[in-house]
Amino acid sequence: MNDMWMNRLSEYLDGELDKSERTALEAHLATCGECYATLGELRQVVARAQALQDTPPATDLWAGIRGRMTESTPIAPRRDRHDRLVRRRFSLTAGQLLAASVALVLMSGGTVWLALHERPSNAPAPVAVRQPRIATVASWTGSTDAAIADLQATLDQNEKRLDSTTVRIVRQNLAIIDRAIADARIALQSDPGNAYLNLHLANTMRRKVELLRRVNSMAAARS
Amino acid sequence: MFATLAAAMLVALAGASQRQTDTTFAVPAGASLSVNNFGGGITVHGWSENRVKVHAEQGRRGRVEVSVVGNTVVIKASSREGAPSVIDMDITVPQSMGLTLGGTYADINVDGVQGPISAETVNGEINVRGGKGIITLHSIQGSVTLADASGRIEVNSVNEDVQLTNVTGEIKLETTNGEVRLTGIQSSSVDASTINGDVLYEGTVTDGGSYSFGSHNGDITVSVPERANVTITAATANGDIDASFPLPMTSAPGKHRKTFKIGSGSARMELESFQGDIELRRPQEIRERIDEHKRDHDNDKDHDFDNDHDNDSDTSFSSHFDAGTWNYAARYAKAYAPKYAKAYAPLYARTYARAYARTYKRAYRDTDTTSH
Repeated sequence: MNDMWMNRLSEYLDGELDKSERTALEAHLATCGECYATLGELRQVVARAQALQDTPPATDLWAGIRGRMTESTPIAPRRDRHDRLVRRRFSLTAGQLLAASVALVLMSGGTVWLALHERPSNAPAPVAVRQPRIATVASWTGSTDAAIADLQATLDQNEKRLDSTTVRIVRQNLAIIDRAIADARIALQSDPGNAYLNLHLANTMRRKVELLRRVNSMAAARS
Repeated sequence: MFATLAAAMLVALAGASQRQTDTTFAVPAGASLSVNNFGGGITVHGWSENRVKVHAEQGRRGRVEVSVVGNTVVIKASSREGAPSVIDMDITVPQSMGLTLGGTYADINVDGVQGPISAETVNGEINVRGGKGIITLHSIQGSVTLADASGRIEVNSVNEDVQLTNVTGEIKLETTNGEVRLTGIQSSSVDASTINGDVLYEGTVTDGGSYSFGSHNGDITVSVPERANVTITAATANGDIDASFPLPMTSAPGKHRKTFKIGSGSARMELESFQGDIELRRPQEIRERIDEHKRDHDNDKDHDFDNDHDNDSDTSFSSHFDAGTWNYAARYAKAYAPKYAKAYAPLYARTYARAYARTYKRAYRDTDTTSH
């Protein structure tokens, strides 16, 4: 996070840099591993986001939006380029990338999660990641831990729908993932700002979320 | 005509109390196949005829139903009474037919099909040779192998190995407790990872391509062709990074991460292992390693695990039984013991008892020696 180009990576990915800026950034990427790695992580987040299927919102939001539009005094002027850059800068902390990555997985599994929790149809959807502003391990893993706990509780409730062999194997593999998560957490205690360790923890937690989702989905299919 | 034929066949199969199904019928071009079998096996072969041939061994309680929904031939296994039956299906289809195969306690085998393939089982292996287009293969407890395929590939297991051989296209591959092995790959996009196992990649590194390999507990070995243009980011918390050729380091952002640029660096390769080593090798080195491994495997045709080709008089085999092999053996034993014990025990007890006895005798002797 220590150079000017780090803050321009999302513009680069979005194709918003002009030709000279793009050329300069590409030259920089060739010599800066940190920016290069961050760009890769950002690409993963974008790819995962693009892979998600669009789902209609649970409730009609238009009434609220229209209400706010009429309440608000003059419409805010279009942000100039500088403002957009500042906004972009904020959106590109490594912690946010990690949280976004896990959050996307959580959101894409929301259907199964909701089905298994048997929430009323008009209940608000669970908020997978409550705090987008994250800088430390503790702050960004908290919400993911909570989501994992929910999925785990769902599995506890529904595992009787699965045969004992499958449950045993899933439990074994969840334990393997838990050990990996514990390893990453221990390493992060001594080096909390390490981008690789943060990303590794995020990816490993994502794996746990995906496995829980998959098994819960199987259980739901057999109900 | 197609629908009429299939409907008639459905009646015939459902009404008979036969233990075996044998039927062949014509299908139009573009038809697809959907199979669901709770337990047993699904084997699909491709042939050059525009006909589908179904052979099933379903036992007394089992029933195989064939119907047509739209342009899809649907084959379902069910039970006349009680728990689902174990049914082995052997189906031959036109080579270009798209397949959707699902099972719970079912092994799935596909050979010689050149269409899209979707195969999913919970407790069983998936082995596919061929396939073109979107190919998705998922198992929870069972290894997954894919060979000679092309397209957009997504393969995963949870508790077993996944292996791709001679595959072309965009590849995403994942397991939790098993090895990941990719050889003969031609791709500009590969994403492969495991938590507990090694990762091996031998294939192309295309300009502008994207390659990502990860493990928590295992080693990562990748081939980098001599004229590759790739920027490699390698990260490990507790392992080493080693290359058999000069690696020009571009930067080392952080204690655990290093970046290397080879040629123009246009492709991107990310290698991450928390506990394991990262090895960069030339393709030839990896191929030699694979050949050596294969030779070892082939040399063990006497099935006593000792690679000795003899009449079991040699007790030096334990040198071939490293930790990885033990893990592998333990996983297989755990997975297959309940399933195959009854059938295989009478056949193989004598052969394997001797080998296992010697293996464990040696292992325990070593343990005793170490502990004293």
